[in-house]
Amino acid sequence: MLDKLRSMISGVEADFIDIRYEIKTETHISFTGREIRSVGSNRTDGYVIRVGKNGGFSSATVTREEDIPRAMQLAVEGAETIVTTGGKKTVLAEVPVVRENIKLVLDGDPREIGIDDKIELTRKYNDLMLEQPLIETTSLNYREVGRDKHYVNSEGTAVSEEILTTNIFGEVIAKRSSLVQNIRTAIGGADGYNRLLNREDVFLKRAQIAGQLLDADPVKGGTYNVILSPMLAGVFTHEAFGHFSEADIIEDNPSLREKMSLGEKLGSDVITIVADSTIHNQIGYYVYDDEGVAVKPVTLMDRGVLTGRLHSRRTASAFGEPVSGHTVAEDMRFEPIVRMGTIYIKPGEQSLNDLLEELRNGLYLIDGKGGQTSGENFTFGAQYGFKVKDGRIGPMIRDINIIGNLFTTLQNIEAIGNDMELSERGGCGKGQLNIKSALGSPHILIRNMVVGGA
Amino acid sequence: MKILLNMAARVSDQAEVFSIRNDSSSLEMRNGKPTNMSASIQSGYALRILKDGRIGTAYTKNLLDREELVSNALDSLKGRVKAGFSFPGPSDIPASWLPDESISSMGFHDLHSRSKKALDYVRGKVEGQIDVHSARGVQDMAIMNTSGLDISRKTAFMYILTSLLFPNTETAVRKFHQSRNVKDFPERKLDELVDLYTSGLPEVDVPTGRMKVVFTPETVYTMLWRLSASTSGKSFYNRTSPLQDRREEMVLSEKFTLYGDPTDPEEIEQHFFDDEGVPTKRHTVFEKGIFKNLILNLDYADKLNEEPTGTGYREVMFGGETVALPPAPSLNCSRIAPGDVSFEDMIKGIDRGVIVIGVLGAHSGNILNGDFSVGLNPGFYVENGEIKGRVKDGMVAGNVYDVLKNIESIENRLHDSPTGGTYPSILLDDVSVAAK
Repeated sequence: MLDKLRSMISGVEADFIDIRYEIKTETHISFTGREIRSVGSNRTDGYVIRVGKNGGFSSATVTREEDIPRAMQLAVEGAETIVTTGGKKTVLAEVPVVRENIKLVLDGDPREIGIDDKIELTRKYNDLMLEQPLIETTSLNYREVGRDKHYVNSEGTAVSEEILTTNIFGEVIAKRSSLVQNIRTAIGGADGYNRLLNREDVFLKRAQIAGQLLDADPVKGGTYNVILSPMLAGVFTHEAFGHFSEADIIEDNPSLREKMSLGEKLGSDVITIVADSTIHNQIGYYVYDDEGVAVKPVTLMDRGVLTGRLHSRRTASAFGEPVSGHTVAEDMRFEPIVRMGTIYIKPGEQSLNDLLEELRNGLYLIDGKGGQTSGENFTFGAQYGFKVKDGRIGPMIRDINIIGNLFTTLQNIEAIGNDMELSERGGCGKGQLNIKSALGSPHILIRNMVVGGA
Repeated sequence: MKILLNMAARVSDQAEVFSIRNDSSSLEMRNGKPTNMSASIQSGYALRILKDGRIGTAYTKNLLDREELVSNALDSLKGRVKAGFSFPGPSDIPASWLPDESISSMGFHDLHSRSKKALDYVRGKVEGQIDVHSARGVQDMAIMNTSGLDISRKTAFMYILTSLLFPNTETAVRKFHQSRNVKDFPERKLDELVDLYTSGLPEVDVPTGRMKVVFTPETVYTMLWRLSASTSGKSFYNRTSPLQDRREEMVLSEKFTLYGDPTDPEEIEQHFFDDEGVPTKRHTVFEKGIFKNLILNLDYADKLNEEPTGTGYREVMFGGETVALPPAPSLNCSRIAPGDVSFEDMIKGIDRGVIVIGVLGAHSGNILNGDFSVGLNPGFYVENGEIKGRVKDGMVAGNVYDVLKNIESIENRLHDSPTGGTYPSILLDDVSVAAK
C-alpha cells in the first residue's frame, strides 16, 4: 500500500505533499430496552491529501481513487490561493524521517469473537440494568472501531499503524410519572476485548444511581465551593484547559496566545496537568499521529505554571516549540487537527475525606455529562451530585451544569486528591469526533464555581 | 445502484439502496487573514434489506465490493432486529429544483472575495477581532428500492458566518447568511451585527435570580433539541417522553407553533422526499401550544401504528457519517411561527432580563426531561429596556415545558439559524439566571 501511495504523490508540483489512506472497520450492536435496534459490521476506506506550496498549505479529503487527481488539484489550488490572498504562511517543523509498521497488541482480539458472543455480552449488561427498580428503559451499545492507517509524505516518511477501540456504552433511564432521569455508562479501551468481560458491577451501580435520581432535588443556581469527582474533574481538564493547550485553538487569537505564554503562572500551586498518549492499556494510546510524528508525553502545567503545549508540525513551527505528535483525525474523512489524546491532572496527597473536611459546605459533583468551551469560557454538566454540610455528604442533587472562566478557575483550585481514574471512552467533538480522547483526574476542590440550576 | 439493488433483492424480501455524494470546500479567515482552505469529495452507499420481518443494514463509502456489502447486510440479519414496515413505492413528487451552477463552479478565490467583502464592511467599525468562515457545497442524493421507487435530488448551498470577537476574548456575536446561489453577505445584517457588538462591549455583573430571558434565533435550538427528543417516535415507543399520552393537549403557551416544511420554496434545501423516500409536507408538531403530531420515521410509524410523516433522516445531533446512520425521526426545515413584536420593541419592554446571544452546553443535561442549563456565551443584560452590556459568567436554566408556558412575546421576523431552521427571538418570563 505504501508504494502505491508513494506513486500517487510523485509528480505533484508542490514543496510538500502527504497522503493518508485508511481502511475503517466498524461493528455495532444497539439495544433499546430489551429490543435489539441494530447490528452490523462494515468496512470502508478513503484518502486525505495535504499540500504545501510557496508557504501556503491546504488539504482535500476524498473517498474514491478516481477522484484523487481532482482532490490533489483542489489542495494545490487552496495552497496557492492562501498565498495570493495574503493568508497565513506555513512552515512545517522538521521531524525525523521514519519508516515503521506498528502492529496491534491486544488482550483478546475482538475480530476473533463472533457477533453472537458480542450480542450476548451486551444483552447481559443491558438486562442487569433493566432488572433494577424504577428503570424504564436503556440504550446500550457495543461499538468496535478499527483504523488501519497508511501514511506517506514527500520527505520519505512511511508509517502504517493499526488501532482498534472497543466499548460498551449507553444510558439507563429511570422514570416516575412524568419525571425522567438518565445516567450514562461506559466501559472499554484500546487494549482488547477482555477488558469488557466481568464488568457487571459498573452497570448495576449506574442503574441504581438512575433510580435514586428520581428522589433527588434539582440544584439551586448560585455560586458554590465544589468537589469534583475524578471523571468530572477530567472533563474540566479536557474541556476548559486541554482545548486551550491545543495550539491550533489559540494560534490566531493574539490576546489569548499572549495569555497562554509558556512560563505564565496560570493555576494554583497544587495543579499539574499532563498529556500522555504513550501509556499502554488506556483508550488514548497510539504510537504515531496522522502526520507521521511519534507521540510524546507533555507536561502542560507544572504546579500552576504553563510548561508545554500540544502541536502539529505547522503549529510547532509557528510557535517555535517542540512537536508533540498530537495531530489526529477522526478517520479518512478528515484532515488531522491538534488533539489531546490522554489528558489528566496528576494526583496530590489528600484523601476524599480530607477534601470534604476542607470544603465544609458546598457541593460534591459527580461524573461528566458533556461539556463545551468557547475560548476561555467553559461549561459542563454533572450527572449527579450531593450537598455537603459540615464536611459530610448530604442529600442527592440533579440537573447540574457548571460555567466558568478557565483562568479564574485554575487559580481557584485549592486541593487535589490522592486517587486517580482515567476514562474508558472518548468522544470529543472538536469539529470531528475523537473516540480516543481519554481524560482523568483525582478528586479536586474548587472555590467559587457558578452552578446553574432549575 | 441498480446492480447493487438487484443483488440485494435476490437474497431478501425487500431492499433499498441509498447513495450520496458531497463536493464541498471551505475557507476560514481568522483575525482578518485566510488561515485554512480545504476541500472534500465524499461519497457513500447504504443498503437496507427486509427479510421475514427482520431488517439488515450495511454501508460503505467506497463501493468497491458489492458482494461484501450485501453479505454484511445479510450478516446484520443475525441481530434479528424486527421491522414491520415496507419501503415506499413511487408517488407524485414534484420535479426537483435544479441548483444554480454558479455554486458548483465556485473556487477558493470566489469564496475569498465574498468573505473579504463582509470583512471589509465591518473592519474599522469594531475594535475586536473579526473572523469569517465561508463554505460552498453541492450534494447529489438518490434512493432506489424494490417497491419501484427511483428518485434523486441535487442541492447546493453557500454560507458565510461573520463573527465579531469582544476584545481579548474568544466570546463573539455572530451572524449567519446562507443562500442557494452565489451571494454576498447582506449589509443590513452586518449593520445589525455591529450594533449588537457595540451594545455588548461593557462587561456587567448580573444578580442571580428569576427574570425575563430572550432566546435569539441563534440559541432557540436549546429548546428545540429538547422538544424534538420528547416528540420523537423513539421516545414514545420507549415510553420515556414527558408528553406521553398528551396529544391534543395544550402543553405550551398558545403563542408557540412549531412545524417543519421542506417543501417551502424559501428553504435553501427545499426537498420533496425524506431519506427513506417518503414524500415531505408541512408537518406541525405544536400548534398554538397544543401538541399535535409526533416526528416519525418508517420504523416508528409502523411500531406506533401511525402514518409515516416524511421525517426520517440519516442524521444525528452532531455530525455523523450519513450512510452509517440509520434513518431516524427528525424535523427538517423547522420553523417557529413569528409573533407580532419587533426585536427592538421586545427589548424595550424588558424591565430586567437577559438576552441569550450564544450558548455553551446546549447538548448537556437531561434533554429528554426538557431540562436545560446553558452558559451564556455571550448573554446581554437588559435593564429598563436598555442593553447594559454582556454578562460575566452567567447561566440560564429551566425546563422547556415550564418556560415555554410563559412566553411573553415572539418576534415578528424569522432568521436563519446556523444549526438549521428559521426562527424568531422568543421572550420568556420568570426564568432562572445564575451569575457570579
